[in-house]
Amino acid sequence: MKHDFLDKYSNLDSPIHRLDPRVKILSVFLAIVIIVSEPLGELFHFVFYFVIIALLVGLSRVPLKYLLVRCLIVSPFIVMAAAFLPLSVKLSPELQPDYSGYSVYHASLTILFKAYSAVILLVLLTSTEKFQRLLLGIRKLKMPRLVGVISALMYRYIFLLTDEVLKTTRARESRTPGKLKKSKIKVYGNQMAMVFIRSWERAHRVYDAMLSRGFHGEFPDTRSLRLSGSDVFVAIIFVGILLVIRLGI
Amino acid sequence: MPTGIKLENLSFSYSRGKKVLKNVTVEIQPGERFGIIGPSGAGKSTLLLHLNGILSGEGTVQIGETIVNKESIADVRRKVGLVFQNPDDQLFNPTVEEDIAFGPLNFGLNGETVSERVREALQAMNLTGFEKLTSHHLSLGERKRVALATVLAMRPEVIALDEPFSNLDPAMVLQLMKILKGLDATLVLVSQSILPIVACCDRMAILKEGEIVAVGPPKQLAANVELMRSCGLDLSFYREIFKEIFPG
Repeated sequence: MKHDFLDKYSNLDSPIHRLDPRVKILSVFLAIVIIVSEPLGELFHFVFYFVIIALLVGLSRVPLKYLLVRCLIVSPFIVMAAAFLPLSVKLSPELQPDYSGYSVYHASLTILFKAYSAVILLVLLTSTEKFQRLLLGIRKLKMPRLVGVISALMYRYIFLLTDEVLKTTRARESRTPGKLKKSKIKVYGNQMAMVFIRSWERAHRVYDAMLSRGFHGEFPDTRSLRLSGSDVFVAIIFVGILLVIRLGI
Repeated sequence: MPTGIKLENLSFSYSRGKKVLKNVTVEIQPGERFGIIGPSGAGKSTLLLHLNGILSGEGTVQIGETIVNKESIADVRRKVGLVFQNPDDQLFNPTVEEDIAFGPLNFGLNGETVSERVREALQAMNLTGFEKLTSHHLSLGERKRVALATVLAMRPEVIALDEPFSNLDPAMVLQLMKILKGLDATLVLVSQSILPIVACCDRMAILKEGEIVAVGPPKQLAANVELMRSCGLDLSFYREIFKEIFPG
């Protein structure tokens, strides 16, 4: 099982990596709230937001290419949401809201920038902290226990799914010397069905193994988190700068 | 401290289909190494899952003085450690250390004790130095030993192992047999690899279509060609092969 699906670069050492996970979670959450609350059409502020985000990326040493590939995964949804606005206005002009001082394209770009800022910040968060520590941080922040357990199990089962996809793909390719003779859709469909069945069965076995070792709905952890004054200071500065930009002070 | 196991009229079926276990009755003594062999689909793994309360059928499963039921499940899981057939089903934490600590932490042991248990379990399995490694980077033999270490760290009175010898090379089988023989616990070994079971168990049962058809000394049962053949476990062809390999 591969264990670097989300936190591939969490083992790097950087000032961002060294921050307490709680500080990172709260800072990212507040940053997203601040950025998303920008009024539509306020494009100029995003220059500053992106400079700050670029600085964070540079400090974190997470490769830019990795971040961009992650952003690509969600791009269809973001681009669709941004494109939907001018398209809907074009199709039904009567629906056009009051864009005083900026065009619908400005509004659309704002949506795009907001979404990408949020995605980059979230990818940065998961790339600079081990998933288990993020879960611990979430737990320490008094998030409902069930949410933490579901997230942890989901994270574990992603690997089972990936594992099964790899195995069935190898099995398929080993018996496919040239092009697929059968209809591709049918073959891929069969493979996908098998992946789900096998993953379900495997997940069941993993869960049995957890139960047999006393699992009772909560992941144990002896690791503790240490919140330092400098971590809090960094978070206040970061959120403070964003707030200053947002309020245009 | 090893404890005994008592199964009485244990029956189980997964759905409304046919019974996978039929009135299984057997008693295993404290500290005994007990092997269960049988052809594929005989119900061996299903039987093992009953020892830990993962599955519960009709009849009684008793671990020491404790009858396995909903009320006693936590106590039973503390007493019985299960080692699954595929170590990848058992190892799901990012590091070997975390996987071994998982059981003891679930039972509420403090950090210091858990670290001590992890260290001891790794030492017993000749895995010292593997603490920070990722399980999926290890060889199958090493993963199997880590899986056993995850259970050892819980210091169970009973250790039940599902196909411990499968897919291991002869040297690893020998090493595992030595390790198993040195454990201070009641051992239940389920396997299709009959020879290692014969070599390291005190007693053996043959399971066929969910029923125990024979219990006795492993060598005596394995030598009963008719019995073994009727259960699809005939070993006599090994004799021919060994004769060819080691003439005289």
